[in-house]
Amino acid sequence: MDLIDIIKDSYYIMQKDLLGLRRNHTSLAALILLPIAFLLMFGFIFPGANTQEHIPVGMVDLDNGSASNAFVAQIDTMNKNSGAMNIENFSSVEAAKTQINRGNLYGTFIIPPGFSDNLTNGKSANVIVYVDNSNPQVSAQIESTASNTITGLNGMQAQINVLKMGSTTNKTMNTQAIVFPFTQNIETAIPGKTNYFNFLAPGLMIMIVMITVMTGIPEAISKEKEMGTFDGMLSAPINQVSIILGYTASLCVKGFSQCILVLVIAIIFFGVTIQGSIILAFFLLLLGIFSFVGIGILAVAASKDQATGTTIVNLIMFPMMFLAGIFYPIQQMPWFMQDISKIIPLTYAADAMRKVMLLNANINDVLIQILILLVFGLVTMGIAIPLFRKSMTT
Amino acid sequence: MVEYALEVNKLTKKFGNFTAVNDLSLNVKQNEIFGFLGPNGAGKSTTIRMLCTLAKPTSGSAKIAGYDLIKDPSKVRQKIGLVAEKMIMYEDLTAAENLRFFGKIYKMPKKKREERIDQLLNLVDMEKWKDTQISKFSTGMKQRINVIRALLPEPEILFMDEPTLGLDPQTTFAIREIIRDINNKGVTVILTTHAMTEAELLSDHIAIIDHGEVAALDTPQNLKNILYKSDTSIFTTKIMNLTHNMIEKVRSLNVVTALAQQDDQNLKISARGAGSLNQIIDAIRVEGGDIFSITNSNESTLEDVFLTVTGKEIRDHATDKSNILQHSTPQSRVR
Ligand SMILES: Nc1ncnc2c1ncn2[C@@H]1O[C@H](COP(=O)(O)OP(=O)(O)OP(=O)(O)O)[C@@H](O)[C@H]1O
Ligand SMILES: [Mg+2]
Repeated sequence: MDLIDIIKDSYYIMQKDLLGLRRNHTSLAALILLPIAFLLMFGFIFPGANTQEHIPVGMVDLDNGSASNAFVAQIDTMNKNSGAMNIENFSSVEAAKTQINRGNLYGTFIIPPGFSDNLTNGKSANVIVYVDNSNPQVSAQIESTASNTITGLNGMQAQINVLKMGSTTNKTMNTQAIVFPFTQNIETAIPGKTNYFNFLAPGLMIMIVMITVMTGIPEAISKEKEMGTFDGMLSAPINQVSIILGYTASLCVKGFSQCILVLVIAIIFFGVTIQGSIILAFFLLLLGIFSFVGIGILAVAASKDQATGTTIVNLIMFPMMFLAGIFYPIQQMPWFMQDISKIIPLTYAADAMRKVMLLNANINDVLIQILILLVFGLVTMGIAIPLFRKSMTT
Repeated sequence: MVEYALEVNKLTKKFGNFTAVNDLSLNVKQNEIFGFLGPNGAGKSTTIRMLCTLAKPTSGSAKIAGYDLIKDPSKVRQKIGLVAEKMIMYEDLTAAENLRFFGKIYKMPKKKREERIDQLLNLVDMEKWKDTQISKFSTGMKQRINVIRALLPEPEILFMDEPTLGLDPQTTFAIREIIRDINNKGVTVILTTHAMTEAELLSDHIAIIDHGEVAALDTPQNLKNILYKSDTSIFTTKIMNLTHNMIEKVRSLNVVTALAQQDDQNLKISARGAGSLNQIIDAIRVEGGDIFSITNSNESTLEDVFLTVTGKEIRDHATDKSNILQHSTPQSRVR
């Protein structure tokens, strides 16, 4: 009976809050703009390495022989497929380096004189790759293109050499198997082409829900306190827990709407594909909320006004956002940060979300994450709710 | 049916070292209008907040409609209504939506709730504004909704903390009418106000509290009689060249218990003891005052009582308890 009343009252409070939101166009706009801003911002700030295109690169051919022409042709072929680079010819090394120093080029290939001669005389021919390594991502990409080109050329040259050797000994040979005895076929867990947004979207969803709920709780409660409406609820025959539940429910509705927005934008504009169960994903979102809403309530209980509450929440939330492996994999972080990330509930929520949405994991695959989130939620709520009740009547 | 709507026993509230309400005890009979007066910071709102279960008493106890405030707060909440110092309303919602929300959390059945909303809107002449957002209302309109919000669940005891603050005479009058009206229907009303006439007009009993303690408690008439019977006199004097020094000089006299400057020339002085009039005149003459007239009004007003009982200092945290008028605490105080 009591429980039913709590649920009913929570529902009324949620209803009232959402009604207020519908009237308040500024809040409504902020609610919609937040996920869009996040998606665009983080999408462009943290691009994956293979998404770089049209990098301006120089080409200085001081040899102009048959081998250098082959090299240039090979690079052009490879570049035609990826469109990674815009290659511009320069007549001297100095001219190219000047452009690099001015920031117009990210690097240049230099084919020294005698390149073709070396090759015909049985020496190795050397290409110089000069890169502006102040931009590590781009320079790595140029280096890798150069090394791929060289590997390709080496392979072709080696096969020709093997064929020649074969014709002298009169044996038929599988040149491919001799030159490249080891080959690989890469199969991915996620079918089709993936991009950074595939990695980002699940984490972003859980993060947006977290921001909305965690900042929303202190904001809503402090607003009620400051306006005086809180006294109206507290002097009414309702359980104080329904106030927290009602606001959390309302914030869940807001957070979920934002998540759906993120998902739709990610699918339509950023080519994200979802492999797993959306229902399980939303269940995980809910569980994620359960795991960190206690921290929001604690912040309310511990602070007198909205400013303090929001500050406390931000203080807790920002490290969580960056350490939970939302923007880049946890494995890329130094060991001590990895340790910290292990005690953050968001880490597990984001991890489970990603597994479900990208890898089509089922509920058993993420059982450990679910358990951790549950325990985390129960512990924080167990501490927060009594403190909240106590802070209500000063 | 219990005899007292309110039985307050040694209620105390401390904020750190500061005692806002100090051992406060009083009883309020069923179906009374009980006026709660006192200077700013006297502890009126704090007392009301405690009685409405919004603040935890540091010590002491109270029974509200027969239920123990500490042990049974949820029962207490079912019996009370609150018009607080700050209005209890959501600005983004319409009048009806506000009322509906509170009706719901008070578990009113839908049909009854909607009927009562219409009836109450009608009572305060606001039916036309039913579906208008609160943020578009004037202060007076807001307060009318605020008052009927408290009445919606039909409370037995209604607490009203300065319900007519900042309202025009028409709205003030309307709200007083509502207070009388619901009181006639059996509701006990606890009313704080700084408007003496309002307290006098409406209240069956008045408690004047100061520094968190009851300084006087009686019917309005009896309170006024105290002054009449005691050796306290109220003088009104008109001084053509009234200066600040004159006021301070008079205020510093031992016989003067309270003093209020009414305008550029008129002073109202409350004094006790033999020869007080002579001393006051002397004090003004010494400062070169040109006394145009001085009258001794036998008929004291509630304001005179208030000033006499609570003293001449302007207060709000000027918590120097030493020379509060213990001597003038009336004998007719009921306990
Ligand atoms: N939350 C609080 N923390 C600290 N002090 C408080 C708090 N609430 C009230 N007080 C202090 O307690 C005293 C009594 O305040 P209260 O609001 O009860 O006075 P009041 O009689 O209602 O005054 P007014 O006529 O101005 O409304 C004041 O000195 C006030 O500063
Ligand atoms: Mg007050």
